Amino acid sequence: MVAPGWYMALAAALFLVGALGLLIRRNALVMFMCIELMLNAVNLTLVAAGRALNDINGQVAVFFILVVAAAEVVVGLAIIVSIFRLRSTASVDELSEMKG
Amino acid sequence: MLTPVTLADYLPIAVMLVLAAGFVAVTLVASRLVRPDNPTPEKLAPYESGILPEHEPSQRFPVKFYLVAMLFVIFDVEIIFYFAYAVIWTDLGWYGVAAMLLFTFFVAETLAYVWKRGALDWNVHQRRRYIDREAA
Amino acid sequence: MNFEVDYLALAPELVVVGTILLVLALDLVLPRPRKYWTATVAVAGTALALLPLAAMAIEGTTRSMFDGSFVVDQFALVLKGLFLIAGYVVFLMSHHYIESDRYYQGEYYLLLLASILGSLVMSSARDLIVLFVGIELTTGPLYMLAGWRKGDVKSNEASMKYFILGVLSTAILLYGMSLLFGLTGEVTFAGIAEATAGRAGEPLLTMAVLFMIVGFGFKVSAVPFHFWAPDTYEGAPTPVTAYLSVNSKAAGFVAMLLVLYLAVPDLSQVWAPALWVLAALSMTLGNLSAIRQNNIVRLLAYSSIAQAGFMMVPFAAAAVAGADLEEAFSATVIYMVIYAVMNLGAFAAVIAGARTTQSGEIPAWAGLGRADPRIGVLVLIFFFSLAGIPPLAGWFAKFVMFRSVIIAGGTATVVLAIIAALNAVVSYYYYARVVKTVWMDPATTDLQVQEPAGSLRLALGVAVVLTVLIGLYPAATTFVTEASKVLATGG
Repeated sequence: MVAPGWYMALAAALFLVGALGLLIRRNALVMFMCIELMLNAVNLTLVAAGRALNDINGQVAVFFILVVAAAEVVVGLAIIVSIFRLRSTASVDELSEMKG
Repeated sequence: MLTPVTLADYLPIAVMLVLAAGFVAVTLVASRLVRPDNPTPEKLAPYESGILPEHEPSQRFPVKFYLVAMLFVIFDVEIIFYFAYAVIWTDLGWYGVAAMLLFTFFVAETLAYVWKRGALDWNVHQRRRYIDREAA
Repeated sequence: MNFEVDYLALAPELVVVGTILLVLALDLVLPRPRKYWTATVAVAGTALALLPLAAMAIEGTTRSMFDGSFVVDQFALVLKGLFLIAGYVVFLMSHHYIESDRYYQGEYYLLLLASILGSLVMSSARDLIVLFVGIELTTGPLYMLAGWRKGDVKSNEASMKYFILGVLSTAILLYGMSLLFGLTGEVTFAGIAEATAGRAGEPLLTMAVLFMIVGFGFKVSAVPFHFWAPDTYEGAPTPVTAYLSVNSKAAGFVAMLLVLYLAVPDLSQVWAPALWVLAALSMTLGNLSAIRQNNIVRLLAYSSIAQAGFMMVPFAAAAVAGADLEEAFSATVIYMVIYAVMNLGAFAAVIAGARTTQSGEIPAWAGLGRADPRIGVLVLIFFFSLAGIPPLAGWFAKFVMFRSVIIAGGTATVVLAIIAALNAVVSYYYYARVVKTVWMDPATTDLQVQEPAGSLRLALGVAVVLTVLIGLYPAATTFVTEASKVLATGG
């Protein structure tokens, strides 16, 4: 049996990759993917912990996180579509009307 | 029940990863040793002639597909709650049936909303006509 | 298993859910010229949801459901009342604003109602899953509302910035929660508190708590996690900004306090210094940035960042000093309630004033006081109240804050109190500057007085009555203190 610690480590690595990607990449779509990666790292942690502790609550939490994440992706895509209609670009650097 | 797996079972994968990484490293180092190294500013530019690109070229952006993708994601994931019900439906009895029917009604109402708004029309021009008609 | 559902305890949420479904159905059926019915239904639904709250408040028993995950006690009732009333006032402010725009109306009310529903659920949350669903339902619709003016690049930018940082904060918060679950094996706050007792100093637990604080820091726009706030506030439609700065911020605060206070009280040596730093930075940077602003909504944005700092002061001070958290908790909640009232008023006054001045830039507001004295007086009342000048409500909020700090005692606490006092003085300057422009400066253009719409007048009336009443008769907020103590003692 693979020790839960390894899953936790993998999840931490995924979370880190997502966070770094979010900071480095400038394409809004890729940034969304990075956020999804971070959320899935959370899901992996919860499932691994839930199984190690033999506690169903970990998986229940994953249910809700999946649904909320899907809803958030849809909101994000809607915002991108709305920006595309005005700007025809997905680079967040182009979005700097307001400063100060 | 899962069959117990030990880390030793992953040894072949680890060996393959090491071999793959080694192959890449050897190739890169070998080609660096063999090739001539003589960079000039012209060679380093993305295009050796022509205008330097200043920002990403704007891409064609098919909104239709995004709309379908968005609707698919949201209605697809809603189904996850039926799984939880499916596991213990015998324990819940008619109370559970009523609760799930209510849930289905909520989802159906949003679907009706999306339909009436014209988001399911593949042809965008038709949708525009629909909105104009409503505005009039 | 126990499937008993206490329908009275859920009644406010159920009423709001029913209203959401009704608004959605009406929006489908009604022709465009009669879409204003969606607004009427939304306002009526919010008011109706207050009835079961009142019934439960009179009865006074604590109701607990789903193995203690969803609790309706006095504290939850006060917060639900706050969220519903604030939502009601925002509806009143929006009515004319949204109707005069050319965008969809039905969805606007639908999304705001969904956000209110989220904050109602969150007030009763006593476990991590319910809390998470509640807080996401509160903020999710707001990403869309911030970008409501689809044709306006600024509004799109506001929505994009808010969305990226909001979802990032969610991911960080969730990672903290998942670590906490993995380390304790519990999701209820009570269970976590039991499991973490005496485990201070474990590195992974420390990490989990810090992750959660960063996540909440984004939600309440505390410095250094505030970058999204000014841009989002400026770009979003003004009623949405009012909602963001009141309901959404209060919801973030409540979530943070619930988790820190109920779930990990024994790890206070981890989160107390972090809160202390957040409070000091938010007050100082918020106030200093507010001085430089010329746009009135941006000024209010930075002011709300600074006010968030003030709100954290009692809790941070008491936790650092190791004093009893009960007093500090009620001080923070009282500050939050009063801030909600006066900030909503300030935004309503800004919406009303902007109709006459046709501009969000402060210099253009010169001479408004003489052109339209009623709006001028309202601006004066709300901005002086935000500054904390007696006898307006803001004075009592600051008084309660400093009192709880003095009760806590200790060196770090005194330093924080001095920072807060200096900041209070700085804040007089920029609040008074707006009032001075409105009343003292000569008008630069000929101002055409625009009467505020009836619903906006009602919103202004509610806010001004509460602001003056609480200022003159602070005992009116005693029930807030009592309610906070119910939570504090676990009754």
